[in-house]
Amino acid sequence: MAPILRLDRISKNFAGLAALKDVSFEVEEGGLFGLIGPNGAGKTTLLSVIAGSQAPSSGSITFRGRDFTGARSFRAVRSGIARTHQVPKPFRSLSVLENVEVGYRFGCDDRSASASKDAAQVLEWVGIGHLKQLPASRLSVGDLKRLELARTLAARPKLLLCDEVCSGLTETEAASVLRLLGEIRGAGTTILYVEHNLRAIMSICDRVIVMNYGQKLAEGPPEAMQNDPSVIEAYIGKAASI
Amino acid sequence: MTDATATSKATISKLIPVAAPLALLAVLAAFPLLGPGPNGIRLLFVTLVWVTTSVAWNLLGGFAGQVSFGFAVFYGLGAYSTAMSLNAGLDRPVSLLIGAAVAVTASLFIGLPTFRLRGPYFAIATIGVSEAVRVVMTNVAVTGGASGYRLSEHGNFNQLLHFYTALSVAVIAVAVSIFVRRSKFGLALVAIREDEDAASDLGVNPFRTKLLAHALAAALTGAAGGVYTGYAAFIYPQGVFGFDISVAILLMPIIGGVGTVWGPVVGALVYGFVHEELIASFPQLHLLLYGSLLILIILFEPGGVMGLLGKIVRFARSRSGRGAHS
Repeated sequence: MAPILRLDRISKNFAGLAALKDVSFEVEEGGLFGLIGPNGAGKTTLLSVIAGSQAPSSGSITFRGRDFTGARSFRAVRSGIARTHQVPKPFRSLSVLENVEVGYRFGCDDRSASASKDAAQVLEWVGIGHLKQLPASRLSVGDLKRLELARTLAARPKLLLCDEVCSGLTETEAASVLRLLGEIRGAGTTILYVEHNLRAIMSICDRVIVMNYGQKLAEGPPEAMQNDPSVIEAYIGKAASI
Repeated sequence: MTDATATSKATISKLIPVAAPLALLAVLAAFPLLGPGPNGIRLLFVTLVWVTTSVAWNLLGGFAGQVSFGFAVFYGLGAYSTAMSLNAGLDRPVSLLIGAAVAVTASLFIGLPTFRLRGPYFAIATIGVSEAVRVVMTNVAVTGGASGYRLSEHGNFNQLLHFYTALSVAVIAVAVSIFVRRSKFGLALVAIREDEDAASDLGVNPFRTKLLAHALAAALTGAAGGVYTGYAAFIYPQGVFGFDISVAILLMPIIGGVGTVWGPVVGALVYGFVHEELIASFPQLHLLLYGSLLILIILFEPGGVMGLLGKIVRFARSRSGRGAHS
């Protein structure tokens, strides 16, 4: 299958600090890709660059055959690249339903996609339908994570960028969110899933990219990555030093 | 409580949001017939001009959360361009539209650079722009510079004409505000206020949306300036471009309840009536009093009069609810 997303030598510098350095990879349409790495590896920065929240310093991004380098985030989402935030960013004074309405009404240019789930249905899907009239400020952390995901799904993305959707959740909550990601992928959305927690990602991804110090360290199926010496070193240090 | 009374109570609480504004409008429209005298009509006229500016400011400052200290620019430009159009022999409605159009043009010139800034930086930039415009207008010869500009009124002075013009423009402003609050555009504004980056991530173009809200607010404020000019017949830069005008326009929605439809209306009504009394009673102190009032509201009731009313209503309901159960 053709790649839905191609990154070519993406770099991002913050003043003197290189947060990303020559990162290249391709994401196949319909897949569930994991992006892992230790703290500060540049995972979230890479997500922000793909989603258009930040422009890359160099390199290029191709999405569905079109050059998307430096596209602003509202353009990216309307064309089909939507992201969630690691720390949810709800519109606190709006109701849960209104939060999702923003994504539904602004997030998609494609008229033919309007036949898919509407805002209320998306809320049911992620399991917070019963909370739709509450102001977002009254939600628990777990429900805020679900709201973040629901809002993004309402934009009907073709490529969903998930940033640590399980962090801060209990084991049961995390398991149900992972199940949901499987369903989203089953519904035809390609997912690029950034995660700090290895176990979560190994259980559901079919391909994993490992990052460290802003560079791509390795790429392959999850089992191979788990046993890759360079990956083990990045996470827990050299075997000799244990 | 029986079902019938519960239903009738529910119907009443549904009717209030529609009936109360209509009743207010009826009272305002009938006001001149109640024999308040020319001074009473003048006071309400000025208050209606304030209602328009307050509602307009709230579109940008309340719904979208972009606090501007520069609305005197639109008020003043609206006032001057309406006056010049009237002097050129144009109709009153056309002149008001020209006043609104000039203000919109200014809003775009101001918004294009300043909406790249956020929060306090945007607010500070609007102060700078506003002061710059005032200084320029003080030195422009065509409009009489610091000594002001006079309207050469044709025909007899008709106070009621001015009063009903002010009422009409205020009604239009409130209608625009209601419409915006319920529209897709209004949803985008509130999303920007709550989190601009998240709004952008969900497909809202923050820059364009803010620019549009600014333009809409400027149009109404410009028209308000024009309405005022038609009545005052003489304007000067310190009077219509002064920083105190900008502060007053921002103060009213905060008094009434920022980010709501009716808060700015209530705030302007309060301000309009109290303002004159305060100036008359404490000519040296009234600005200090406003400052203190602002601090008190922000500290103790950020929701303004409407927020306070909401609390009282909820309190009363919880009391009566408990009474019914016991």
